[in-house]
Amino acid sequence: MQITKREFLAATAALALAGSIRPANAATAINYWHHFTSQSEMAGLLKIIELFGKAHPGVTVTQESIPNSEYMAKVSSAVVAGGRPDTGMVIAERFADLTAMGALTDITKRVNAWKGRANLPENRWTGMSQDGAVYAVPAYAFVDWMYYRKDYFEEAGLAGPPKTLDEFVTACRKLTNPAKGRYAFGMRGGAGAFKYVIDMIESFGSPIVKNGQAAIDKAAAVEAVSFYSSLFLKEKVVPPSTPNDSYRQIMEGFRTGQTAMIWHHTGSLIEISAALKAGEQFATAPMPAGPKAHIARVAYAGNGIMKDDNVDAAWDWISFWGETDAAIALLEATGYFPASTAALEDRRIKSNPVYQAASKTLEFGRLPNSFVGAAGWSENVVNPAFQSVLTGQLTPVQAVDRMIEGLEAALR
Amino acid sequence: MRRDHMKSVLPRGPITLLGNLSETRYWVYLLLFPSLILLLLVVAYPTLYGFVISVREMRLTRPGLNGWVGMKHYVAMMSDRVFWISLKNTAIWVTAAIAIEVTLGFVAAVALNRNLPGTKLFGVLILLPYFLPNVVAGHMWALLLDPRLGVINDLLVRIGILSTYKAWFADPATALAATILVEAWHGFPFFALLFLAGLKGIPEDLYKAAAVDGAGPVRQFRLITVPMLKTVIAAAVILRVISLVNSPDLLLVLTGGGPGNATQVLSLYAFQTAYREFNFGYAGALSVVMFILLMLFATIYIRLTHVTKE
Repeated sequence: MQITKREFLAATAALALAGSIRPANAATAINYWHHFTSQSEMAGLLKIIELFGKAHPGVTVTQESIPNSEYMAKVSSAVVAGGRPDTGMVIAERFADLTAMGALTDITKRVNAWKGRANLPENRWTGMSQDGAVYAVPAYAFVDWMYYRKDYFEEAGLAGPPKTLDEFVTACRKLTNPAKGRYAFGMRGGAGAFKYVIDMIESFGSPIVKNGQAAIDKAAAVEAVSFYSSLFLKEKVVPPSTPNDSYRQIMEGFRTGQTAMIWHHTGSLIEISAALKAGEQFATAPMPAGPKAHIARVAYAGNGIMKDDNVDAAWDWISFWGETDAAIALLEATGYFPASTAALEDRRIKSNPVYQAASKTLEFGRLPNSFVGAAGWSENVVNPAFQSVLTGQLTPVQAVDRMIEGLEAALR
Repeated sequence: MRRDHMKSVLPRGPITLLGNLSETRYWVYLLLFPSLILLLLVVAYPTLYGFVISVREMRLTRPGLNGWVGMKHYVAMMSDRVFWISLKNTAIWVTAAIAIEVTLGFVAAVALNRNLPGTKLFGVLILLPYFLPNVVAGHMWALLLDPRLGVINDLLVRIGILSTYKAWFADPATALAATILVEAWHGFPFFALLFLAGLKGIPEDLYKAAAVDGAGPVRQFRLITVPMLKTVIAAAVILRVISLVNSPDLLLVLTGGGPGNATQVLSLYAFQTAYREFNFGYAGALSVVMFILLMLFATIYIRLTHVTKE
C-alpha cells in the first residue's frame, strides 16, 4: 500500500492528537515518596495502597522507597532541580526544614473541610502546622519507650523496669556482666545518638530553643552530658562499641542478648517480637524520668502534598492515611502507633499489654524539637560532640560549648 | 581568473557558502562546534555553577538569606575546625590508601603476569572486590569487623592477638586506619588491572637482555619494569586520587565521619553540609577547595613524574 506525503502527515497529526487526549475513565496516577524500607513497612504500605485502590478506583499510587538517611537529600534535590513527587512522607523532626524550603503545599482549607479531622486531636496537628497553616495529615506516631529483657531482670532480682534515671543506673549496675559479654544498656553513640542526648539535656531541665533563640542552660546540659556519658566512661554498663553504635547495632545487641535494655520507639516492636517472646523474654516500659522532667518523644508522622499537578488525587491519598482502616493495616504490619483516636480505641491496641507503655507515654510525651536547622544541628554538631566525649577527645563542658555555638549558628 | 569566473556564475546559496567555508581554516572549528557546545553544557556549566554557588548564600531552609556573599564562605572555612580536621584526614586517607593499593596492586599484577596454572581464576578472584559497589563493600566490612559478631575479631581473639573483641570503628585511634584498610581492599584491583595491562606491554626481550648483562630481578624491576610502567602508574594514581577525594560513600556507611569527626573527610563534610544542613553555599565552597587541591595535585604530580615528556 502506498500513502501520499499529505496522508502520512494527516495520520501522524491524528495519532499525536489521540495520544494527548486522556480517556474519560483513565485513572489519575500519583506518586508517593516515603522512607519505609523494611519488609514489615513495605507490607503495611502495600496493604494501604490496596485499601486505597478499593476506596478510590480513579486514582493509582506509585510508591518510591528512599532510605531514611537519603530522604532529605532526595527531596531537597527535587525542590532545587525539579522532579518533585505528588506526595511524600513527613516526619515531625523534618517538618520545619521541609516547609522552610517550600517542599509542602498548604492544605489548611482541605483539612478544615475534612470529616476525618475529628479523629485527630489538636496535638497531632502541632507538628504538621506552621503559623496556623497545615501542611500534612498525621498518620501514625513513633512513641518512644524502653524495651527490657524481662528474664534478665528476674535473674538479677529486679522487681520491674526503672522509673527514674537513678533507678536506671542502679539496674544497669546489676545487669552488667562483661565476663558474660552482657551489658545493661544498648546506648546509641553513632548515627542518631543526638536524639537521646537532647532528651537527656531536657530531662536535666534545660530547654533547647525558645522563641526561635538558642536557650540551652549550660550547667544543666553539662550535668546531663556528664551523666549520660558516664554510663560508658565510668559505669561501663554499655558495650565498648557504643561510640559507633547506631540503630542496627543496638538492635542486634538487644536481640542477641548482649544488652538488657534499649531505648527506641514503637516502630521496632515487630522486629524485636520476631526475635524474642513478648511478656516472657522482653517487655516494654515508659522511658525513665529525669531529675527535672520526664522526657519521651511522641513524634507524629504524616503525609503532605509536594506538587499541585494532581492535587485532588493527592489529597485523597494523604487523607486516606488518617482513616482507621489504613491506620490499623499499618499497625498490624509494623506496630506503628496510629495517630487517629478512633484507631487507638481498637481492641488490638486496648487489649495488648505491650502497648500499655505507649498509651501511658501519650499522656506525658513531648513532640520532638522542631525548628529550622534542627536536623543539621543534631546530626552535624550534637552527634560528633557527644561522640568526642565518649572517646575522651572533649570534656562535657567543651562538648556543650560546641553544641551551643553550633545551635546559635544554625539559628542565625 | 577561471575560478573567479565560475564563482560569479554559480548561485550563492547556503550550500555554496558551506562549500566555500569548508575550504577555509575555520571549517575545523565549525566541525568541532557541536562537541564544544556539549562540553560547555556538560562540563563547563556545572563546574562554573559550582564556583558561583560558593560565592552565594544558598541555604534551602532560609531562602530569605540567599544572595551574593563574595568570599564569606572561604573566610569562614579558615576558622572552621571541622574543615581543618577533614583536610588532614583527607590527606592521610588518600596517601595511605594509595600507598597500600599501589603496593598490593603491583604484587597482584606481577603474580598474575607469570601465567602459572590457575592465574586466570586468581585474576577473577582478585578483581572481585572492585566489582562490589562501595556501599555493599562497606556493609560487608562493617559486619566482618563488628564488635559483637565479627569474624575478624573472632579470628584475632582465637590466635591471641586480641584478648577481647575490638570496636574498630568506635575508637578514634583505629577508626581511620580500619576504614583505610577497607578502602585499600576495595581499590587495589584497580591498580592490579592497570599494572597487569602495562606489564603485558613490556617486551620480554628487555628482561632477557638484562639477564644476559647480569641484572638480577631487583635491578630488572627497578630499571625496566618501573620505568616502562611510569605512564601507567602516573595515570592510575591520578585517577584513583580523584576518586578517593571525591567519594565519601564508604566512610558514610562505616562511620558517618565519626567518632567525633575522627574519620571526617572533605567530601563527606561537603555532602553533610549540603544535605543535612541544606547549606549549599558553604558545601559549594568546600567542593571548590577540593577541586583546586586536586588540580594542584595533578599538575605537580605530572610535572614531577615527567610523563608528558615521553
